[in-house]
Amino acid sequence: MDIALSRNGARLLKAFFAFVVVFLYTPILILVVFSFNNSDVPSFPLSGFTLHWYREFITNSDLRGALETSAIIAALSSVGAVALGTVASIALARRNFKGKAPVSALLLSPLVIPYVVFGISLLLLFHTLGIPRSILTVVIGHIVISLPYTILVLLPRLQQIDVALEEAAYDLGAGRLQTFRLITLPLILPAVVSAYLIAFTTSFDEYAVASFVVGTRVTFPIYLYSALRFPNQLPQVIAVAVVVITISLLVVVAAEIGRRVAERRLGTLG
Amino acid sequence: MEREAAAGDLSAERRRRLLRRVDLTTPGLLGLPLAWLVIFFVVPIAIVAAYSFDVYSLFPGKHGFTLGAWRGFAHDPVYLRLFWKSVQMSLIVSTIIVVLAYPLAYYLALSGTKRKYILLLVLIAPFLTSYLLRVLAWKVILGDQGVVNSFLFWTGLRSPGNPISQLLYSRFAVMLVLGYIWLPFVALPIFVSLESLDRRLLEAATDLGASRLQAFRRVTLPLSTPGIVAAFLFVFIPTLGEFVTPSLVGGATGYMYGNQIVDLFGTGFPDWETGSVLAIFLLGVVTVLTVAFSRFLQPRQAAN
Repeated sequence: MDIALSRNGARLLKAFFAFVVVFLYTPILILVVFSFNNSDVPSFPLSGFTLHWYREFITNSDLRGALETSAIIAALSSVGAVALGTVASIALARRNFKGKAPVSALLLSPLVIPYVVFGISLLLLFHTLGIPRSILTVVIGHIVISLPYTILVLLPRLQQIDVALEEAAYDLGAGRLQTFRLITLPLILPAVVSAYLIAFTTSFDEYAVASFVVGTRVTFPIYLYSALRFPNQLPQVIAVAVVVITISLLVVVAAEIGRRVAERRLGTLG
Repeated sequence: MEREAAAGDLSAERRRRLLRRVDLTTPGLLGLPLAWLVIFFVVPIAIVAAYSFDVYSLFPGKHGFTLGAWRGFAHDPVYLRLFWKSVQMSLIVSTIIVVLAYPLAYYLALSGTKRKYILLLVLIAPFLTSYLLRVLAWKVILGDQGVVNSFLFWTGLRSPGNPISQLLYSRFAVMLVLGYIWLPFVALPIFVSLESLDRRLLEAATDLGASRLQAFRRVTLPLSTPGIVAAFLFVFIPTLGEFVTPSLVGGATGYMYGNQIVDLFGTGFPDWETGSVLAIFLLGVVTVLTVAFSRFLQPRQAAN
């Protein structure tokens, strides 16, 4: 007899799990169905198959511009967040210093700030400093938001690595920077990659903070938000939605597979 | 020979000096991330706080410390009632989805299924796709001419002139969409706490004559409390200040506290001072919650 679950209990939970998965994926499937539906309004009955909406969004230059802007912002802010997150994580994992608890609390605090509060705070800061809103102001905000996520990914990995490996490198005459480049970095590389992916997707999808500090070049979420208010663009937006959701699901699966392969390979060292 | 050796020594010395210069000390490591957060996170919040007391303003005129905006906030029933309504909405959403997520996490962690990590990924994957696009899906589903209503017309269960119009632009819609968005995520901390549970404790409980239900109530549930609390806060905190979902599917009845803050900084009738008061108040509530439950919110809870 299993102590945690009776056979019927397990069956019941399995059915409930399946039900929830269906609930989670049905809205996404509905988007897929209606992205191919030949009608201006997404409603039943279905009125035939078309690729019209996909063709339309591919030729929509506003949309392409917004995707491009978001890609630039995500690329810049994720590099910044991972760089800051890596040095901060090394300090937290390897050094002993006074005030470690408040420092790590500050580093993680953007996790819990309501984005509406952070958005208006940044807005007031940029107004005060006289900095015009642009791609750069969004990048600055997104680095703040992504930084704690990168630390949450990198810190546990650094703590897993045997410190003896780094000490051996010092003993053999390597400097700290050299040790980092030759020993630490290769060992945490899978975590660096997942931190980068998390920061990238966080930024790419971020609407709330961006809505306060965005300049004239709108990001993809901002474009989407305004498109959601105009029903005539709905079928096109649905087609975009299907493409974006499919890509992000593929990235999630690929990242997970990559992480496992890498960790299995490094497992013998770590 | 000698000269060569001396040159070698010199370059080694230079290299050592160079290395020392780029050597990363603790302040060297923490300097940049902390400076970034102070300049672009702490200072901006301080500016908003200063704004709420009218110590600082971007508008010309006479300014000085006053509690006027705070007093206005405390005496204006509109803001506090709206805050209370948002608390209730977030409480209901968080409670319902934690209750729903617990059995999911329990199944993954304790049923002994071999594919638990794959199933966990299946559960969490929707959370990692675009937030706005998941809201869009519900807009398509719930509208007057949307999937649900048009399906009802089509099958003749309802007449076309008479859609169920409370589906979209309502408090219900906001809560449904927020629950849908956060459900995959709350399963995670509960799963982590259940997975680290030592099964020998359950064996011991059964050996001592406990039934499954008793073992659950006296062992499993108390030991998974940190996960439950973390899960609850992970939803409650962001939904309390939510403004995107209510502005898209909430209509008038789904309007939340976060929307009020945005509107006070918006173009209609801006009142940045009152807006700052509302923002700092929300931040204060969130901070108190976070500090009070901080021992449940350790990084390792969320790390995996």
